[in-house]
Amino acid sequence: MLHVTFIDPSENEIEANFEPGDSLLQAAVHAGVDGILAECGGGCSCATCHVILSSAWAGTLEPPGPQEADMLTFAVDPTPQSRLACQVQLKTEHNGLTLNVAKRQY
Amino acid sequence: MILGIVGAGQAACTLILELIRGNFRGQVLIFNGEAIPPYQRPPLSKDWLQNPSRDRLNLLPKIIEQDSRITWISRTVTSIDPGRGTIRTRDTAHTVDHIILATGTRAKKLEIPGLSAQQNVSLRTLNDAENLRLNLAQASTINIVGAGFLAFELAASLSKFGITVRILAKGPRALPQVGLDTAEYLSSRSDALIITETRLIKFDRKAQSLLSNQGPISCDLVITAIGSEPNIELAEASGLATTSGIPVDVNMQTNHPRVSAIGEVAEYHHTLIGKKLRIESIAQANETACILATHLLEQQSVRHKIPWFWSNQGSEKLQIAGFSERSDDSFLLMDKPHQRVVLRHKDGRVTAVEAINAAREYMAARRLFESNEKSISLNTVQQAGSIFSLLQSSSS
Repeated sequence: MLHVTFIDPSENEIEANFEPGDSLLQAAVHAGVDGILAECGGGCSCATCHVILSSAWAGTLEPPGPQEADMLTFAVDPTPQSRLACQVQLKTEHNGLTLNVAKRQY
Repeated sequence: MILGIVGAGQAACTLILELIRGNFRGQVLIFNGEAIPPYQRPPLSKDWLQNPSRDRLNLLPKIIEQDSRITWISRTVTSIDPGRGTIRTRDTAHTVDHIILATGTRAKKLEIPGLSAQQNVSLRTLNDAENLRLNLAQASTINIVGAGFLAFELAASLSKFGITVRILAKGPRALPQVGLDTAEYLSSRSDALIITETRLIKFDRKAQSLLSNQGPISCDLVITAIGSEPNIELAEASGLATTSGIPVDVNMQTNHPRVSAIGEVAEYHHTLIGKKLRIESIAQANETACILATHLLEQQSVRHKIPWFWSNQGSEKLQIAGFSERSDDSFLLMDKPHQRVVLRHKDGRVTAVEAINAAREYMAARRLFESNEKSISLNTVQQAGSIFSLLQSSSS
């Protein structure tokens, strides 16, 4: 089974299984990762599924589209590695990678 | 404390999630009248039709679903007795300390003479969506009766299957919930042919056509998307007060101290809008659930958030912040080839911001509405030219 590891705001590591094509948010919901609110249900409309990718993700994803980039401006302390989990589609090559859930979504 | 939640949709699941995360010490019975575990509904009219996986719709993490404080009861509730705290199904009865009605809404039906139930479908549940999908293989032309958000989302999804879609509006224009400038843009971007002022007479089976005041409109399938009605029957039958929903106070409590209501069925006084509201949206479902969770956990109560809403119609994304009445005026603030921002306003104050592919404006509006005690003046936004600039200048 493919998986990514979320590090939640309390520094717990949670392994989340995924199928290629799942979003990071779907993987997080399945695994019950804390700290991701996803108030809009995955519609890129609330900026409360803010995650920060580790450097190993570099080059594996298209950069955020204009909508996601705009929403990220309103996330708490966004970094260049910030993404909205609902907008990241997981691929086989992401197996084993880690990422942080933002400390705060508000 | 034993809680009994009637319904297992978005609001019920958010309540459970919040209770578990808030270290709730009691027990929860949750009554799910559908034969499947809780799932998300928003995707059903959007990308789900192309990629119909049940797993991706899961609403609750397994770890929460299987928590020892929660008992799932896969039965439809037939009655409640607020006085005794009883919840009954066809063959069981359960006594609880507090009853939570999260019964939601159902699609309004429209009888069209001559049209069989197989050819007249609606979309609300996963079952409806799976049924619609089965019908798509034989359909080359679909008429959607109704011209709201659901109709537009469906039209965009169905046209990806190479199906010809028509949207039949009763009124003089589509999308009456939003301003004219917003509706015009979305109508122009829709793949569907929009026919307004339509009065349906009957379905002519031989010609496979809907007969209307606009002439015959052929189709293989009709989807009724004319809005919803709240499931208030349980509340009514138990003697609780009902209106166009179930009225509740600031803590989501009904007129009986042992019963609360949350989600799309709950009607409450919104402190920021200053009106009684019953809004159908995921934001509303989550907000009402969070307010009740805070109350049940005896935590400090949360402030109301401004209502917000989103709708994906193919590649167009509509996001709305605020709450407007249909009679509120419209002002076109931004008009670019792929972006539009429309201010709804009344008496010189902005009541809602409708943003198409303009997330920054939508988010800036949410922030401004929530920070502004007196609401946003139309003049100030017009002078600033954009809501984002106004937010920047007001926070600097």
